[in-house]
Amino acid sequence: MGPIEMAFAYLLSVLGVFVPAILIVSRGARARRLAITLILTAGVAGGLVAVSSFLWQTTSLLDLSWATPFPFSFAVDRLSAFFLLLVCAVAVPVTIFASPYFDLHYSEQQRRWTWAFFSLFLLSMIVVVTASTGFAFLAGWELMTLVSAALILIEGDSPERRHNVFVYLLMMHVGAAAVAGCFFLFLPYSHSLDFGMIRAAGAAMPGGIRAAVFLSAFVGFGAKAGLIPLHLWLPRAHPIAPSPVSALMSGIMLKTAVYGFVRFAFDFLGGGPWWSGYVVLVVAAFTGLLGILYAIAEHDLKRLLAYSSVENIGIVFLGLGTSLIFLAHHSLLGAGLALVGALLHAFNHAFFKSLLFLGAGAISSSTHTVDLNELGGLQRRMPVTGAAVLIGCCSIAGLPLFNGFVSEWLIFRSFLAGSSLVDAKAGIILPLMVGILALIGGLAAACFVKAFGVAFLGRPRSAEAEHAQEAPLGMRVGLWMLGAGCICIGILPGLLLRPLVSLVQVLVPGAGVPEETLSIAYIIPWIAAIVLGTSALAALLRPRARMARTWACGLPGLTSRMQYTSTVFSKPIRSVFAQVYRPDRKVEQLPTDQPYFPASIAYQSVRTTSYERVLYRPFVELFISLAHRLRRLQTGNIQIYLLYIFLALVSLLTFLRFQR
Amino acid sequence: MKIMVDILQLLLLILGAPLVRGIIARFKARLQKRRGASIWRPYVELFKLLRKEDLTPPTSSAVFRLAPVLLFGCTVCVAAFIPVAHVSALLGSRGDFFLLVYLLGLGRFSLSLGALDGGSAFGGMGASREALISSLAEVPFLMGLVALAILSSRADITGMVAWTLHQNIFNISTVHILAFTSLAMVVLAETGRMPVDNPTTHLELTMIHEGMLLEYSGPSLALIEWASAIKLHAMLALLIALFGPWGMAAGGSGWGLATALLLYCAKVTVLMVLLSVIESAAAKLRMYLVPDFLGVASAVSALAVIFTMWVKR
Repeated sequence: MGPIEMAFAYLLSVLGVFVPAILIVSRGARARRLAITLILTAGVAGGLVAVSSFLWQTTSLLDLSWATPFPFSFAVDRLSAFFLLLVCAVAVPVTIFASPYFDLHYSEQQRRWTWAFFSLFLLSMIVVVTASTGFAFLAGWELMTLVSAALILIEGDSPERRHNVFVYLLMMHVGAAAVAGCFFLFLPYSHSLDFGMIRAAGAAMPGGIRAAVFLSAFVGFGAKAGLIPLHLWLPRAHPIAPSPVSALMSGIMLKTAVYGFVRFAFDFLGGGPWWSGYVVLVVAAFTGLLGILYAIAEHDLKRLLAYSSVENIGIVFLGLGTSLIFLAHHSLLGAGLALVGALLHAFNHAFFKSLLFLGAGAISSSTHTVDLNELGGLQRRMPVTGAAVLIGCCSIAGLPLFNGFVSEWLIFRSFLAGSSLVDAKAGIILPLMVGILALIGGLAAACFVKAFGVAFLGRPRSAEAEHAQEAPLGMRVGLWMLGAGCICIGILPGLLLRPLVSLVQVLVPGAGVPEETLSIAYIIPWIAAIVLGTSALAALLRPRARMARTWACGLPGLTSRMQYTSTVFSKPIRSVFAQVYRPDRKVEQLPTDQPYFPASIAYQSVRTTSYERVLYRPFVELFISLAHRLRRLQTGNIQIYLLYIFLALVSLLTFLRFQR
Repeated sequence: MKIMVDILQLLLLILGAPLVRGIIARFKARLQKRRGASIWRPYVELFKLLRKEDLTPPTSSAVFRLAPVLLFGCTVCVAAFIPVAHVSALLGSRGDFFLLVYLLGLGRFSLSLGALDGGSAFGGMGASREALISSLAEVPFLMGLVALAILSSRADITGMVAWTLHQNIFNISTVHILAFTSLAMVVLAETGRMPVDNPTTHLELTMIHEGMLLEYSGPSLALIEWASAIKLHAMLALLIALFGPWGMAAGGSGWGLATALLLYCAKVTVLMVLLSVIESAAAKLRMYLVPDFLGVASAVSALAVIFTMWVKR
């Protein structure tokens, strides 16, 4: 065993065995601190494994088949190394943040279980991205779902929470079934679930099976990634999890689905059927647009962030779909460009989204709410936290000098490169997608002006916000580690671009990236210098400011109720896109005969999103009626059950007899 | 030598910006049968504001003070993309139009946050309306530029301009007409002119851009006003460079540069006259009609993109 293998074995054993064991055996605070330290060292070890195996291209890492009934082994190629780096780079700051967070929020008993599951959650995601057999992959995939559901349930218990977790588990298992289906479709051709054999079989399979694998992978991973219409669980499960867990779920868990899709569609299949790119593109466009439109209407910060995750997954899949279209036309430069853009956006999103979820956690620990309409003025009270959250907001809005811009720029450029395709269909559709992504980007900027502006700026809207305190040191450190990552990639994108190009070249043989698009790495630092230099010069023009009360049109003074709230801020956009929202409004006014001078007025607006009504209701009703019919089989009479068993036995025996 | 020309062009865009505002105001006054103020008036106002005291609301944070500065930096950086009299710009050949549009977005983002930090109703009102308009305006802005980029097979502004310069003036395509229409509408929306926004109003029902800077005073206000003047000038220069670059100097001779500069002044004057006519003739659109206006611009720009398929082959 070389050092890389040792480090990887250390990583798995610490997260999977030692940390849970320590926490279960010992109850003391010192044991917990030891466990947290171990998780951190495991994260660092994982990062080192990722970087070194990326550089030296080691593949096989660890074979655990002796310990399990199935082939169970791990390997890290460049794609896995990239995602392993993503998991570890986000896991370390989140762990640092979580330590004071759980101390503040949880009882001793809850803390022990939370940390044990936290560690297992990290383990499951690492298993998913490094597995090299189908069994290992599916085991990690299943563990990931169950452990995250457990983490949500530790936070609290209520019928609503149980319902949300039920929806989460249900959707995840539909997705897991589709993912398992992909593997089994390969089985007749590869005769093994080893990734190497599957890859070799991928090219030789008939077209129909390839299409079935592609669709099944798209549905399975799409459900995990939160593509509309399979995103239903996402805005339910993410907001109710504790903030560090939401950060992991949004930041990393969704990316494992991106990993899985890339693994299947690009690595195993080498690009889907000709229509695959268009299917992905259309679904991704809807996901991006609807995701951000729902996000902007939210005033619960964590739900807003969850919907914005839907939007960002849409952007990632826009890049993946474009890449598939280019692949179908054998245009390898464009395919490489779009794929680099998509992978980089997945990486960037992991950083800024976990930063923002942690920011929401910091807000809720000092104000006990994440309702934007109750917040305000936090920048004065928590300046360090606020600055980090501001970095996250700029990044997620795709503004230059921050990381989100670089990846969106690459995807924009790949759309533009689509105009060079000879095929008229692709040549028109891809450039038109610029408009869609522009709208998504513009709305995202609006959404995060609102989120940051309403929560952190202006006057506090409640007593809790008025008396907010700066977050503890550990939280600030975690936030700023992620914030520094966002700025670092934003100003020096070359750090990640070159490795990503080499990754894509391994993944799709012959693919590359047009040299001119790498120029972004040189131009962005110059732009940063010009913008910041001019700003500094302009700042020199100004004297020190004096405080003066704002003129309140002759009233005694401004109150916080005169400010725009989150709901009002998004009103113009909600009115323009009213077709998307279709809220059920109820206004009750008493007395009814005096429209202008009501004694009391009650207003209620419930947004059952229209797709739920159209898409899910019929399915749910179909399944319930099917279940009612199946119930007739279950009489509760033991003789009948014995008859079933007997019939099954007889039919199996006849089947075996006549099979030969 | 080349870099000196580029810096001079940038300075022209920055320092000439208040003059553009002054001339437009004068044209408008003439169209309304008023005598109007001197065309140098905006410089005097900037100078006056810069010498005044800077006031901040007691509830605001550092964001309030940083926003105007960052807005100014971004706008200057955008101006560095645009060739004026010579087919080159400081950032024109390396940075592409996506960067240009998103840098404008960064400036707008910071100003909106500054407005919300004021803590009064007007800042939020302006920021909320600006958020709607700018997110919708981004679509035709980028798509119009995409159409031109496809025609010229270049994504950098100078490359697109150089390509147009080699075309025959009388051989312009449908794509150019469509793209010009949509980008001209975008310029009206982006710079907050009629019929999208009224730059002279201070009535709360109609304010958009003005609403955001209501709490600013003194040098901060001067920076914002200057930045929006630069933005207007840069947008006009962008229209000229993309759709009427003929006469622009490509070599390094001083004579060519001088004539190109004179021609540029003439072209800008034409646009300024057009703008003041539009502003005097059009009524401001109701807030909820602006999305229709921008929707038309988006549809036109989408047509421009689609037509590139036929024009190019």
